[in-house]
Amino acid sequence: MALFEAQHLHKRFADQVVLEDITLAFEENQISGIMGPNGAGKTTCFNVLTGRYKPDRGQVRFDGRDITGLPPRKIARHGIARSFQMMNLFDEYTALENIVLALPEVRAKGFSMTHDLAGDDGAQERGAAVLARIGLAGREHTPASDLSYGQRRALEIGIALAAEPRMLFLDEPTSGLGSDATATLAALIQEIRKSVTIVIIEHDMKFLFDLADRIAVIHWGQVIAQGTPDTLRDNEWVRASNLGALA
Amino acid sequence: MTDTPLLRVNQVRKTYSMGLLNKQVTFDLRADFSIEKPGIVGVMGPNGSGKTTLFELITGSNNPTEGQVLVCGQDIHQVRSDQRDRLAIHYHQSYQVRHFRKRRPNFMLRPSSTDYPMVHLFDEPQFNTQDGYIGFMLDFFRRLRDEGRLVVLCVHPNEPFHLQIMREICEQYIFVQKGRLSQAPDFDTLLQNPDVTAYLGDLVGGQAA
Repeated sequence: MALFEAQHLHKRFADQVVLEDITLAFEENQISGIMGPNGAGKTTCFNVLTGRYKPDRGQVRFDGRDITGLPPRKIARHGIARSFQMMNLFDEYTALENIVLALPEVRAKGFSMTHDLAGDDGAQERGAAVLARIGLAGREHTPASDLSYGQRRALEIGIALAAEPRMLFLDEPTSGLGSDATATLAALIQEIRKSVTIVIIEHDMKFLFDLADRIAVIHWGQVIAQGTPDTLRDNEWVRASNLGALA
Repeated sequence: MTDTPLLRVNQVRKTYSMGLLNKQVTFDLRADFSIEKPGIVGVMGPNGSGKTTLFELITGSNNPTEGQVLVCGQDIHQVRSDQRDRLAIHYHQSYQVRHFRKRRPNFMLRPSSTDYPMVHLFDEPQFNTQDGYIGFMLDFFRRLRDEGRLVVLCVHPNEPFHLQIMREICEQYIFVQKGRLSQAPDFDTLLQNPDVTAYLGDLVGGQAA
């Protein structure tokens, strides 16, 4: 059984069908990709999978448990993290401080904890270890605002990883990144996949074809195609496209 | 299934008129056709010819002035408005959705007899050769057909490959012009219609051979 399963998801906003009978399965320790053109329903799908929206119909299961309609914080408690697009960073805090504030033991203690953080070597060590995992060793004391765009994206992922999730959802991780930063991000994802199951929602086909084990193509709120990158590439229109030219 | 057609557009007429004392019909769409079996139907025609209105009438979002639309034998305009997309679903072009007044409350109407739409109407999907999505879209149309659905694909061709796609995927055609429909059983028959060749202009040069 797959670690994460979505079955027959439907979602409408007013009269507009946004998701129409979406069924997806993400296997443990794999990188799964969801791609589709603009307006295809990718972000709504992401929001339904990660609990931000409740589906009108259908079921979401994680590790055999029904998590349909649970609020995001409860879903997070089950071990599912999602990376926002840099909405989560505190610019005035350093990279390390951003990570430490995301550690579950720090969050659990709430406001009172923030007074003692300076003396909490354990939290700082765990935070530094996360920074090392995302390639930001040596940047511990750099304010988030002084990091490059690509480093900020990595820090976002670090914040998601701080909770040691079993599953990580990334929403359009390459958006705004140049080709070098995209390559660095791909290497980072290859590194963290060793310890976390990953789902990437992305419009950059090349990025997904290089990284993902399986890809679902979403359009018109439905899964219009799915398979390994090799099977999806085996299509005359894909071969004739820019993507085919790159492959 | 019995021999009920998948889609029956029965003597449908939609008119829009202007003026009060001296009423003048500004738009008049007439449609009368049946599609018996699952398949992929191509719809072409100039802008303003009535393609989108036809789709709205088939999905029940817009009310016909006369006639009925039967999807698997069920009159879609007698189905609860929030369940009509269980019968026929309209994938709008770029989310340009027109809203129409509802005539009757849902509790007075019938539930849909199916759960996953039987008729899928794609209104000018964006075909872009650069990203390769076309291949997945065409395979999806075929899959819907193979699963017993009717796919209606509306394209306003402005590139030779648009015509190539229509020829490759569609099994019959409907040409809409000034509110009138003409049907063609295959691509070559379609191109024998002088209105069609006039509409397609230079695009048919490489395709007609």
